[in-house]
Amino acid sequence: MSESRQLLCDMADGLFSDLAEAGFDKAWPRIEEAGFASLLIPEEQGGFGGGWGDAYAVLRIAGRHALSAPLGDTIIAHRLLMEAGIIPPAGPIGLAKANGQVGYGRHCGSVVCIEGGELRLVEVATSEIVEGYSLAGEPFDRICPAGAPLANAHCAANLSALGAFALVAQSAGALEAAFELTLEHVNTRVQFGKALGRFQAVQQAMAEFSVEAAAIDAAGQAMAAALDKGCALDDSTGFEVAAAKLRANMAIERCFPIAHRLHGAIGFTMEYALNRYTRRLMDWRGDCGNDAYWAGILGRRVAKLGGCGLWPEITRRSDAAAPAE
Amino acid sequence: MQIFPIRAFDPPVTVTSLRQQVREIVRQHEHRWTPEERCNPWLKCDAEFSLALGGAGLLGLTWPQQYGGQERSVLERYVVLEELLAHGAPCGCHWIADRQTGPLLLRYGSEHLREKYLPGIARGEVYACIGLSEPNAGSDLASVRSQARRTAGGWVLNGQKIWTSNAHACQTMLALVRTDPGSERHAGLSQLMIDLDLPGISVRPIIDMTGEHHFNEVFFDDALIPLEALVGTEGEGWKQAMAELAYERSGPERYLSTHMLFAELVDVIGADPPEPVAQLIGRLAAEVWTLRQMSMSTAAKLAAGEDPVIEASIVKDLGNAFEQAMPRLIQAAVDADLLAGSALGRMLAHVLVASPSFSLRGGTPEVLRGIIAKGLGLR
Ligand SMILES: Cc1cc2nc3c(=O)[nH]c(=O)nc-3n(C[C@H](O)[C@H](O)[C@H](O)COP(=O)(O)OP(=O)(O)OC[C@H]3O[C@@H](n4cnc5c(N)ncnc54)[C@H](O)[C@@H]3O)c2cc1C
Repeated sequence: MSESRQLLCDMADGLFSDLAEAGFDKAWPRIEEAGFASLLIPEEQGGFGGGWGDAYAVLRIAGRHALSAPLGDTIIAHRLLMEAGIIPPAGPIGLAKANGQVGYGRHCGSVVCIEGGELRLVEVATSEIVEGYSLAGEPFDRICPAGAPLANAHCAANLSALGAFALVAQSAGALEAAFELTLEHVNTRVQFGKALGRFQAVQQAMAEFSVEAAAIDAAGQAMAAALDKGCALDDSTGFEVAAAKLRANMAIERCFPIAHRLHGAIGFTMEYALNRYTRRLMDWRGDCGNDAYWAGILGRRVAKLGGCGLWPEITRRSDAAAPAE
Repeated sequence: MQIFPIRAFDPPVTVTSLRQQVREIVRQHEHRWTPEERCNPWLKCDAEFSLALGGAGLLGLTWPQQYGGQERSVLERYVVLEELLAHGAPCGCHWIADRQTGPLLLRYGSEHLREKYLPGIARGEVYACIGLSEPNAGSDLASVRSQARRTAGGWVLNGQKIWTSNAHACQTMLALVRTDPGSERHAGLSQLMIDLDLPGISVRPIIDMTGEHHFNEVFFDDALIPLEALVGTEGEGWKQAMAELAYERSGPERYLSTHMLFAELVDVIGADPPEPVAQLIGRLAAEVWTLRQMSMSTAAKLAAGEDPVIEASIVKDLGNAFEQAMPRLIQAAVDADLLAGSALGRMLAHVLVASPSFSLRGGTPEVLRGIIAKGLGLR
């Protein structure tokens, strides 16, 4: 990891762990003050000048601490608005799903909607808000714009892919946190005269859990690296985002039952921390493209490449970093 | 806690020309290969192809030139391996010698043993097999009982190995045997390079459930093995065999051996697949892509001189599970009439029946997960 990314991660880890129990109202001002919103804005435009790898690392840490704020949406919205030549307004900015739903919508000052190649920046104060909640109990509201947009511009970005990027990063972090909590639990909980972790069946389940936690992060990091190499994000069939979101969904499917099984009843309580991760994970699994959505997109793309085209495409995309011979 | 810290695989400058070279050599030989051979490539043997690879300087790639090697990098070798596997090139003749026997000799073997075996392996002429398992020593390898008694004229070897891949075609075996009579478990074991044409050694076929003769029983009946066949240090066999297993477990063959079945599915199904098959293809692509990231990271760690035992176990466990699920998922999703008599049908039939072996060869899931659990501090 580069030195500047390490510093960024240390700062994010310090702040987000402080805010782990905080609600939105307490968390947001400190996040905004720290300047994370401009993570993907170039330095010469007054931003942090980070890349997708940096965004991945920060959002992964947000996931580890179950941060209660629309950080991924805001970081991505800032980037999209800058690219469209629109100065981002202060405060959290949401990204609208196709059906108008926005995470933390009621708390956002504005929302980015993209439809038919057009980006519209919508003001929340003048919109109708239908409140709702995600599986994790986070605000998940429908924002129905009433008046004219604050700004609009041509934009080819794909919000499902961008949203999926953020969710993969957060999921990798949350899965790791759930893993660590489970590891600690099986090391301390005693039944039949020994720690649960001394039973082979439990060890094998923990090994399976760790394998999936490894896979989700490997996929996520490779996705971020591909974006940094310039794999276009407006390409709605972007190979890496599709593959990483799908693989993340598979990891969540496999680990959710293991984490809860090994915890027993304590893990089923609201008070114990596990559900803060597992409820988010199960929500994110269905958000910004479930398995069928991304598997279909990726599968049709691979089918067009043909059997002989798949391997050259996979290697071409990763070899792109090779220096000239 | 970082379970699997990713190390970037920086493609070597030669990556494009190496891929081209392997693809070209495959193109020259592939007319000989059956669908079955192409979807289990590092088990299936084509002596002519192994010779061609040796002739092209693609074996012993990282070894010193004095032993016939090419002194190229670990990552260049990785690129060659993944190309061979992805194109379903039958490499069974030389695979084990190139992957583990040669590197072990370089690490522990005497000058005599290196000179005797390495150049032939690098030419694609000398094949080696793995003499670890015995009837009572499977997962519990420390139960090895074959015994070599030191005499003035050589080691007198008695006992039996089993499940030995390709022993009937190999000139030599790297075997783990007990050299300290009466020793138990991990102590008193040593490794010997055993030429299989010596008197007192017999190789008997075992037909596997695909109907093929791939593995064997090998019997030692007062076989006299030269003293200089000892590899490394007497009594250090366990430690050395663990190093050998690390070479065996860490490569791309643990997730890429059935890639041709996947490629064939994509070809047969065409550019506009029905939705369930499109989704299956997407799922397989996501898994293969993710496994490749993990496998490349492990290779990069090896290249940097690290010892990624846990990572290699993770990739093998996940890779084997993927390879085993693939034929079942394809069988469940694809129209039966696409399979009848086609290359896809033949590949699928072969892999469905062969796949149980994928998670046995090189260590079972329980054994690998035991290693991972140890890495997690649970054992
Ligand atoms: C195609 C093929 C090629 C092979 N080639 C070679 C070769 O070239 N050379 C060679 O030496 N060997 C070879 N093997 C043998 C292979 O290494 C063994 O099959 C493997 O180590 C398992 O040993 P086993 O078959 O005796 O099964 P066992 O060890 O008897 O295991 C049977 C089952 O019990 C489980 N088990 C065992 N111990 C435990 C435990 N402590 N806790 C929980 N579960 C346990 C295992 O995981 C497995 O599920 C080959 C095998 C195959 C299938």
